[in-house]
Amino acid sequence: MSDEEHHFDSKADAGASKTYPQQAGAIRKNGYIVIKARPCKVVEVSTSKTGKHGHAKCHFVGIDIFNGKKLEDIVPSSHNCDVPHVNRTDYQLIDISEDGFVSLLTENGNTKDDLRLPTDDNLLSQIKDGFADGKDLVVTVMSAMGEEQICALKDIGPKN
Amino acid sequence: MQGSSDRGPADLTQLQATMQAIEIACSSIQMHVNPAAAEATILSLCQSPQPYQACQFILENSQVANARFQAAAAIRDAAIREWGLLTSDDKKSLISFCLCFVMQHASSPEGYVQSKVSSVAAQLMKRGWLDFAAAEKEAFMYEVKQAVLGVHGVDVQFTGINFLESLVSEFSPSTSTAMGLPREFHEQCLKLLELEYLKTFYCWAQDAAVSVTSRIIESHSAVPEVKVCTAALRLMLQILNWDFRYNTNMAKGAKPSMDAFNDGVRHDIASPKRSECILVQPGPSWRDVLISNGHIGWLLGLYGALRQKFSCEGYWLDCPVAVSARKLIVQFCSLTGTIFPSANMQEHHLLQLLSGIIPWIDPPHAVSQAIECGKSESEMLDGCRALLSMATVTTPTVFDQLLKSVSPFGTLTLLSTLMCEVIKVLMATNTEEETWSWMARDILLDTWTTLLIPMHSIGENARFPSEGINAAANLFALIVEAELRAASASAFNDDEDSQYLQASISAMDERLSSYALIARAAIDVAIPLLTRLFTERFARLHQGKGITDPTETLEELYSLLLITGHVLADEGEGETPSVPMAIQTHFVDIVETHKHPVVVLSSTIIRFAEQSLDQEMRTSVFSPRLMEAVIWFLARWSSTYLMVPEECREDNCNSGYDHESWLRSQHSRKALLSFFGQYNQGKPVLDVIVRISMMTLISYPGEKDLQALTCYQLLHSLVRRKNVCTHLVAFDSWRELANAFANGRTLFSLHSTHQRSLAQTLVLSASGMRNPEASNQYVRDLTSHMTAYLVEMSNKNDLKNFSQQPDIILSVSCLLERLRGAARALEPRTQKAIYEMGFSVMNSVLVLLEVYKHEFAVVYLLLKFVVDWVDGEIIYLEAQETAIVVDFCMRLLQLYSSHNIGKISVSLSSSLLSEAKTEMYKDLRALLQLIANLCSKDMVDFSSDSIETPGTSISQVVYFGLHIVTPLISLDLLKYPKLCHDYFSLLSHMLEVYPEMVAQLNSEAFAHVLGTLDFGLHHQDTEVVDMCLKVLKALASYHYKETSIGKIGLGSHASGFKDSDGKFQEGILSRFLRSLLQLLLFEDYSTDLVGIAADALFPLILCEQGVYQRLGQELADSQANPTLKSRLVNALQSLTSSNQLSPTLDRINYKRFRKNLHSFLIEVHGFLRTM
Repeated sequence: MSDEEHHFDSKADAGASKTYPQQAGAIRKNGYIVIKARPCKVVEVSTSKTGKHGHAKCHFVGIDIFNGKKLEDIVPSSHNCDVPHVNRTDYQLIDISEDGFVSLLTENGNTKDDLRLPTDDNLLSQIKDGFADGKDLVVTVMSAMGEEQICALKDIGPKN
Repeated sequence: MQGSSDRGPADLTQLQATMQAIEIACSSIQMHVNPAAAEATILSLCQSPQPYQACQFILENSQVANARFQAAAAIRDAAIREWGLLTSDDKKSLISFCLCFVMQHASSPEGYVQSKVSSVAAQLMKRGWLDFAAAEKEAFMYEVKQAVLGVHGVDVQFTGINFLESLVSEFSPSTSTAMGLPREFHEQCLKLLELEYLKTFYCWAQDAAVSVTSRIIESHSAVPEVKVCTAALRLMLQILNWDFRYNTNMAKGAKPSMDAFNDGVRHDIASPKRSECILVQPGPSWRDVLISNGHIGWLLGLYGALRQKFSCEGYWLDCPVAVSARKLIVQFCSLTGTIFPSANMQEHHLLQLLSGIIPWIDPPHAVSQAIECGKSESEMLDGCRALLSMATVTTPTVFDQLLKSVSPFGTLTLLSTLMCEVIKVLMATNTEEETWSWMARDILLDTWTTLLIPMHSIGENARFPSEGINAAANLFALIVEAELRAASASAFNDDEDSQYLQASISAMDERLSSYALIARAAIDVAIPLLTRLFTERFARLHQGKGITDPTETLEELYSLLLITGHVLADEGEGETPSVPMAIQTHFVDIVETHKHPVVVLSSTIIRFAEQSLDQEMRTSVFSPRLMEAVIWFLARWSSTYLMVPEECREDNCNSGYDHESWLRSQHSRKALLSFFGQYNQGKPVLDVIVRISMMTLISYPGEKDLQALTCYQLLHSLVRRKNVCTHLVAFDSWRELANAFANGRTLFSLHSTHQRSLAQTLVLSASGMRNPEASNQYVRDLTSHMTAYLVEMSNKNDLKNFSQQPDIILSVSCLLERLRGAARALEPRTQKAIYEMGFSVMNSVLVLLEVYKHEFAVVYLLLKFVVDWVDGEIIYLEAQETAIVVDFCMRLLQLYSSHNIGKISVSLSSSLLSEAKTEMYKDLRALLQLIANLCSKDMVDFSSDSIETPGTSISQVVYFGLHIVTPLISLDLLKYPKLCHDYFSLLSHMLEVYPEMVAQLNSEAFAHVLGTLDFGLHHQDTEVVDMCLKVLKALASYHYKETSIGKIGLGSHASGFKDSDGKFQEGILSRFLRSLLQLLLFEDYSTDLVGIAADALFPLILCEQGVYQRLGQELADSQANPTLKSRLVNALQSLTSSNQLSPTLDRINYKRFRKNLHSFLIEVHGFLRTM
């Protein structure tokens, strides 16, 4: 660690790469991985060998964090995999517009208006109902590999 | 759909209507037409009051077999429920109706109706067993006896035997049906049947079988009597399977076990050998029936005659009568105990059986060929089982002698040839499927294990007969050959089915342990054999290097390493295993230690393992799989042989040996152990082992299994012993490992749990330092770099920007895992350093929790680290430190709660949503553990503070914690069994220990706690219900005690209050009194809960007398039937008044109330649940 301990400074700018290499053997369940150019959450890892006296390989089952599709991959465990840089940011929900966009308040007081509501009815109603009930809602926006989506919402008390 | 409840002469048309409705329901269930309605119809018959007349009518008149079946079931349900209401005549007439019914319809083709009715009769008979007078039982039994003895013909005879079968199975604990009665009832029935009737039944079965024997033997094709004979044999077998306990060993004065249901261990086994074989020990009173009247001779004769008939029509090797006869013969092989007046008698008995069994298995070659040609294997397998049973009840010497008296060789030789034959067949077939040879091998292997398992507790000389040693040597050589051949044949198989892997590994382990026992029986031959096989294969590897594919040889070596590991050493299971007895007591004539065969074998393997350090050898020979076997072997071997401390070598092992040979074996053992001791080869070998471990961690990237073995088995077993640690910390190799771990980055690529384990190992090795100061310094050096990294990182201003980068997340997770590992390795002498370690990162933990609030994996690690750290430290902390830690934990809880309360995850994927829920559950479980750990400060405290020092009030802390955590625990989350369990055990602990704090909870938190309690009361898991009842008991008894001395107790929580809407909220105690009564009277629950429910109900009633009176009145008013009503009123009356119950909460009154509640429920539970 000694010679590299300050390396987090160098990459601390917004233009950091979208994915990072990581040894397949070190990726655990609940971590993230890129499978077929999609960012996935790992829901299952198993290892096996290539032949009895061969080397270990990892079998990943991942779920696309944006569209929920299941993807699988097999990688020799000493090889590197791509791990997506998944960011989550909290915003206060200001408004839901007619055309399916949300208006969010950023930390520095600006608004962010380029995010669509999810198309799925179920998710949509969860957000809309909460908003309609007059609750003070904070939404968490997850972004990875150039995509963004609302992934959680939280009630921080009545709006009065 | 009611039966006639007025019990008057029922209207014929009404009975007809009922029958029709049931018939329609039955046939519509069969055809899947509206099954729910049909089920409801049938259920309403079962639940209607006194449906007997209707049921009997259906049984006698219905043409639909299913309807008759359901009617019988309804009789059973109703009668068990209403048993207390029926008159004695009613009861008897129900039983005799069922009995007559089966006898009259003995020839009916619907067997399932017959056996249902017969089992209903058996259950009712058992229900009344303690009420009926002896003469009444006799009257029933007389009828049965007539039937069984064949007075009314073959069919009735068969039916009678079947009835006895149901009766016996109803009385034996493992097969009895629940009747909602306390276990003492079943226990008493069991005792009475065993003492009064069991032997009689056996005699009847015997007589029935004997009476038909000649008919069977004489006729040339199947006759109806065969059915009777089969049933009788089955009944005899069932009776011999009985767990005899009442008249077995009065002579020995052993106490009969009192608990039929919990007591799996038999205390009275004649020989203390481990075996799964059930011993049959009916005691001396059975001698006349089983031994002295030629019963065995008759049985063997019968089977012999059947064997002749297998070519006839209607008979074959697996026909029911042959199978039953064989099973009974095998069962007789495990007959033992006081039934035999002398050992001689038992040997004679076994010899008689063995002579009958020999033709099944001897000559082995012919038998196995016949099976390979298509003969059924069942007879041969039963023969093997019989050998297993005999091995269980005899010593090896006696076992061997059995056959010697009638043949030129002993039983062990036969066993060995038989097993060799089986192994040859296995080698020849070599399939993955479970064939007969698999089963035969497993049974025979069990037989060897039973014979060979060391018998320390037996005083007599348990030495193996010399002929047996030769037999074992031959067998072991063949086993190794077979295993090696199987290994090389499977070397290229690539279909490792990971699902079955675990199961097959443990099965393999068991098999290898049995092989090891056989090898140790012939240790003089086995060790040199293994050495030779190893040397051959090493040579082959070197010769073929680069020329031939080594895979087959690698697989053979893999298999040899496993076998050798089992032969040389035992599994320690946390203890330090000693050198196997066989190795200690043999090789006494070796003068030069380095020529000791065990030393030679061990050194050969270690030298081989050392070659893996060479880069070129590693890539060409040491595949990950082979390395796994090497590591496993080193772990197992080193805990038995490497640097064994002096005192462990002095254990006495003088049982059964004269003094001189004991001294000589002591000498040989000492020589062996000191060879690998600290003054001889121990240090160089240990150094090699450390270097090999480090190499597997660094040079096999991504080989999780190999690294897991290194971390968990090898390294853990090394640091477990202090004398080994002393040397470890002085080694350069160990320092290199510690340094690479603390300061390098290479080990970050290890699986993170392995890093945790490695941290644990390294910290544990600090126990090898000279003094506590040095140990603490060692730990500081190890951890300071890691904590500094975390502190520095959390202090960065732009933390938010880079923290989400995957490489940063990886580093943070690895470091947290390592700190957690270090925290788990806490020992008193390193406590200081570990405290400092945690203390230095406390702030960083909170910062990271904020930054990574959306990153479950990191949050969980943070929580788990704190849990483990607090768990280890809490009992040592001084008052001031405690305050700091508690404050930190509370901030952590609050922060976590503020992030997660009211949070809803949204995702398209249902599996991601359920993952999110699981994550929440795991977090909460960790938080509950944290609170529970804090709680333990009040129980155990090693700090030096005097009691007077004002410390933190743990009860305050815990309640504060509960305030924070409970809102996060939703009823949905309580569906996770572990969380549910943890939550309720924490709750019951807190309310039992600090009930006074509950009054201080605010009403919201209080309501939440109560809501979960309500949920828990109706949980399926009895343990959870049990804990909830304890909570209720604690609450109510606290309130009662407080109010009776004039305090307010639970205050407004108990008395009820007006809520914000002005509605009156009932007090909690009356609410729970109501729901507990509801539960006890109208719902299903295990009878085990009645005791603890009584403990909760008693104080509740005392607290809320008025409510209780009102509830009782309501209950009584709801009964329309005047007899039932008065009965209920009386029962309620005696619940609170009988047994001199007084309104004080002490042990005696609790005990009295328990008794009262039991009898109250028996009295009323049945009819209250009737619709």
